[in-house]
Amino acid sequence: MDIKKVLNEATKAIEQSSNQLDLQNVKVAYLGKKGKITELLKSVKDLSLDEKKSTGAELNQLRGEVDNLIKIKFNQIKVEEINSKLRNESLDFSFPPPNSISPKVHPISKTFDEVITIFGSMGYSVAEGPDIETDYFNFSALNIPENHPAREMQDTFYIDDKDKDGKPFVLRTHTSPVQIRTLLNEKPPIKIIAPGRTYRCDSDSTHSPMFHQVEGLFINKNANMGDLKGTLIEFCKQFFNVQDLKVRFRPSYFPFTEPSAEMDIAYEIVNNKIKLGQGDCWLEILGCGMVNPIVLENCNVDTKNFQGFAFGMGLDRITMLKYGLTDIRSFFSGNLNWIANNGFSIGDF
Amino acid sequence: MKFSYSWLCEHLETDKNATEIGDALTNIGLELESLSDYSSYSKFVVATIKDFKKHPNADRLNICKVDDGADTYQVICGANNVKKGLKGIFAKEGMYIPGTQIHLKKGKIRGETSEGMLLSERELNLSDDHEGIIELSENFKNGTSAVEALKLDDPIFEIGITPNRGDCLSIRGVARDLSAKGMGKLKPLKYEKIKKLEFESPISWSIKNDDNSCEYVVSRYFKDVNNTKSPEWLQKKLISLGLRPINALVDITNFITVDLGRPLHVFDADKVGKKLDMRLANSNEKILALDNKDYTLDVSSTVIADSNNALAIAGIIGGDHSGCTENTKNVFLEVAIFNPNSVAKTGRSLGINSDARYRFERGLDKNMVLEGLEYASYLINKICGGSVSKNTDAGKLDTNEHKIKYDFNYFNKVIGLDLQPQIQVKILKDLEFQINDRGHNECDVLVPSWRNDVKNNIDIVEEIIRIYGYDNINVSVPSSSKDEINNIENSLVNKKFKTISKLKKTLISNGVSEVITFSFQSNRAQEILTGDTSLKISNAISDDQSFMRNSMIFNHLESAELNFKKGIKNIQLFEIGPIYNSSQSQENILSLLISSQDDTNSIYKSVNFNFYSLTELASKLINSLNFDIKQFNISRSTSNFYHPGQSAEVHMGKKLIARYGKVHPLIMEEFPKLKNTYAIELFFENLPIETISRINSINISDSQFQFSEKDFSFIFEKQQNLYEVQRYVTGIDKNLIKSVEFFDLYESKDLGDSSKSVTFRVTIQSKEKTLEEKDLEQLHKNILEKVSNKFKAKIRT
Repeated sequence: MDIKKVLNEATKAIEQSSNQLDLQNVKVAYLGKKGKITELLKSVKDLSLDEKKSTGAELNQLRGEVDNLIKIKFNQIKVEEINSKLRNESLDFSFPPPNSISPKVHPISKTFDEVITIFGSMGYSVAEGPDIETDYFNFSALNIPENHPAREMQDTFYIDDKDKDGKPFVLRTHTSPVQIRTLLNEKPPIKIIAPGRTYRCDSDSTHSPMFHQVEGLFINKNANMGDLKGTLIEFCKQFFNVQDLKVRFRPSYFPFTEPSAEMDIAYEIVNNKIKLGQGDCWLEILGCGMVNPIVLENCNVDTKNFQGFAFGMGLDRITMLKYGLTDIRSFFSGNLNWIANNGFSIGDF
Repeated sequence: MKFSYSWLCEHLETDKNATEIGDALTNIGLELESLSDYSSYSKFVVATIKDFKKHPNADRLNICKVDDGADTYQVICGANNVKKGLKGIFAKEGMYIPGTQIHLKKGKIRGETSEGMLLSERELNLSDDHEGIIELSENFKNGTSAVEALKLDDPIFEIGITPNRGDCLSIRGVARDLSAKGMGKLKPLKYEKIKKLEFESPISWSIKNDDNSCEYVVSRYFKDVNNTKSPEWLQKKLISLGLRPINALVDITNFITVDLGRPLHVFDADKVGKKLDMRLANSNEKILALDNKDYTLDVSSTVIADSNNALAIAGIIGGDHSGCTENTKNVFLEVAIFNPNSVAKTGRSLGINSDARYRFERGLDKNMVLEGLEYASYLINKICGGSVSKNTDAGKLDTNEHKIKYDFNYFNKVIGLDLQPQIQVKILKDLEFQINDRGHNECDVLVPSWRNDVKNNIDIVEEIIRIYGYDNINVSVPSSSKDEINNIENSLVNKKFKTISKLKKTLISNGVSEVITFSFQSNRAQEILTGDTSLKISNAISDDQSFMRNSMIFNHLESAELNFKKGIKNIQLFEIGPIYNSSQSQENILSLLISSQDDTNSIYKSVNFNFYSLTELASKLINSLNFDIKQFNISRSTSNFYHPGQSAEVHMGKKLIARYGKVHPLIMEEFPKLKNTYAIELFFENLPIETISRINSINISDSQFQFSEKDFSFIFEKQQNLYEVQRYVTGIDKNLIKSVEFFDLYESKDLGDSSKSVTFRVTIQSKEKTLEEKDLEQLHKNILEKVSNKFKAKIRT
């Protein structure tokens, strides 16, 4: 028997197959029902018992070997075919993407978030009030009567429409009216902050007709001025991320707090940049004070049993200080390049 | 308020320097705004240009030989007023030049050595003058300090006075407060009372009983005065504050206004009648004031008048006709008390900001009326001579001293500092409060006449801590209680801010940038968007900001246009903020604008942004708040902000949840550069945020058994709302129908104008078994029958 010859022939035919069809034909020619090796196997039954045994075994081995070679070849052909297909699907990796503005949140949003989080950790919930206020809530209830010189500290926008007292509505000049609204609606203890939009008719690089403030109010049986100092120092340390923070509280005047204070933080100029926390220069950060008992009485709070403090700060201002921004007008210009340069991406928000 | 160190020292005996005084002022609430202290300028000295020659390598430069009294230096100088013998101010190498903020280095300028600098006023921060170097007119010795030569030895303070501290609108008042802080001792006022009041004043007063603002007025008549230029000391004082000297009589009143905080007025007695009234103005009464402007008064203003004319606006400004000039021979001096409220009101309505008004409306020291009269008389008599009449007055001077019962413990409770009563008492006494009936815990406090801002216990506390020092307040570290944390968790506003953060994150991750725009909108926007006209701002800064916005769309279009002009072609922006429906109704909404102008990039942009992309984005936004747009009623939008055929509105019951669409072409006519512009408004405050939980999210069934998909095509009426179809089909078998997704819409002439052909795919899956063919067929049949019956739809094959 020329088993070796058949093996050589089959091996050659397999090697010469270049696609799946050729290979299939080879398989049929050798292993099919009428294939060469199948025929040889069929002829074994005519042999003697001894030959049957040895030839049968050899032929079975031959069939196994050829089958295996076909399988190997089949895989080779398949990989080549896929590779060649992938070569045709090739795209130009070097075609640059179109220009796009990277989407960011506004720096004020980041500040809002941080202010709510930091004061939240001190137990302050968030409250709110309308931007269009009555004269009473914005001024009178806060101990700023009509014709009081303190009204001239704030250039007020008025709305044509009049309230039930016959006075024109105002755009709130500060977030302080939320103090009144909260004191009238809730019973002490009260611990709230109220961030929001505020308005004064003033416009230059440091003043915008619209800006943002956050109000704070803490009323309980014994909140005192030491607590006020501690609260605000803690806030500034966290917000400006400066642990060793030099601050100064100095007497000031707001009709709705008594005693009143303004808080300054120290800074120095290092390499033409403002460095907050240390130094001999002072930056005003916020106004604060113990809530004037007149205000509490205006809101029917029992001043024998309750006292507390309030504070207000400009959110645009602390944002500008923290990130070294200089022109408040750019905050509200809707300029997407500015947002892309100064805003925060989702991971930082 | 401005004042010089030397003037302060006329009232305050002190060994403190200007810097120490400045710090103390801030610490007691009289905030130091600026202190021009030139003591460091003593290092700059007078020097003379001995000789000069042209710089060989530079036309404009000269090489000067400069003598500073100790040595001679070579200085290269570019000033055009260089001349031989000029005396100027010299800075040597190494010195810091304040005006340019640089340290002077020895160096060569175009090859020639320069060993110092002759300074201009700007380089010394004295003025903006940089025309040339300083030229001293007096013959100072070389080496004299610049402080002496330029008379810079008197520092000028500028302080901010809060509205409650009218008493510190005078140099004497500031000195008094500083003395309470331990910064020195208040000196007695230096003047002599007029010894002989020789005659009765020919002019007399009456206060009309008509609710005018005058409480008391007192005057003296000065006969035969000689009104010349003021003496040098007085002129210098006024100049140091930036005031212009006029004539002695006027200067004296200005001086007393600043020195004692006591405004007073001088009339030329020959220009006014013999009987003067304090009365309310007649309606439309006119007066030409000293500022040379005509004012028309109304019946709420108080005037000083003779029988013919209004002579002055009470407490605010004098009249031009009755003013004193250098020809004035006889003078009538007026010192009065006017109601602060009334002065403020008149001053504000007339728009006059005078030194007098500023002080009257903050309240005056009533005890200073007679002292002011005496002090002014002394100065007029001393400077202008003549003789002085007896007093003539009207009204009642009610000094009505204010008494407060004060509890020492109140201080400790408010401030959180245990301050002994004796320390509290000492501070009050230093501030010239009188303490009576002092008990263990309390006392009576008599408030000085100049402190009409101190009315209650809390005001006393403020006075004590102000002087004791805010720095001495103990800091206590705040903490939060369990109740407070609970409040935060339950607070609706806190939840709202969380919602807002979620929306922002969703938008950012979808490529949309956040902007913040003004709460205003322009006249034009108001016209087009037709908001409530009562939202007009009465005193708007400009037409662009004259209304409160009833939508953000216009602001965002303006912003898109601005960005387009900057070359950004694909604009995607959003804002979360308030819009205003009326003066008493505002809501926070999310407003988003997408304007894509760039369709040239065929490689990256296969499909242009369209209404359906917008719908998908709106759905995503609602999804990010754990709601499903399919839960709500969706209809065409009726808002005039949007294209009527490419817009939709989402309602929950009657509440508007969202509206979106292509911006109305009529609005877009205002923005011709912008094309393909879409907006979404999400009224997220109308969503029941307080009940948001996972339950609201779509319940996607997850089954391990085989699913089957089947497409259905129907011809519906064109107006058919497909969300209704979707909801109906889903409801046919809630257990088996997993989803219904629409994927083809076909409208054509063959179908007719009133029909549309729609294809949707129903995914069917059981949670219990793999469905058999006959089950599926039954369900398919069911869907075909029910949909065609319910919606009168034709089955399309």
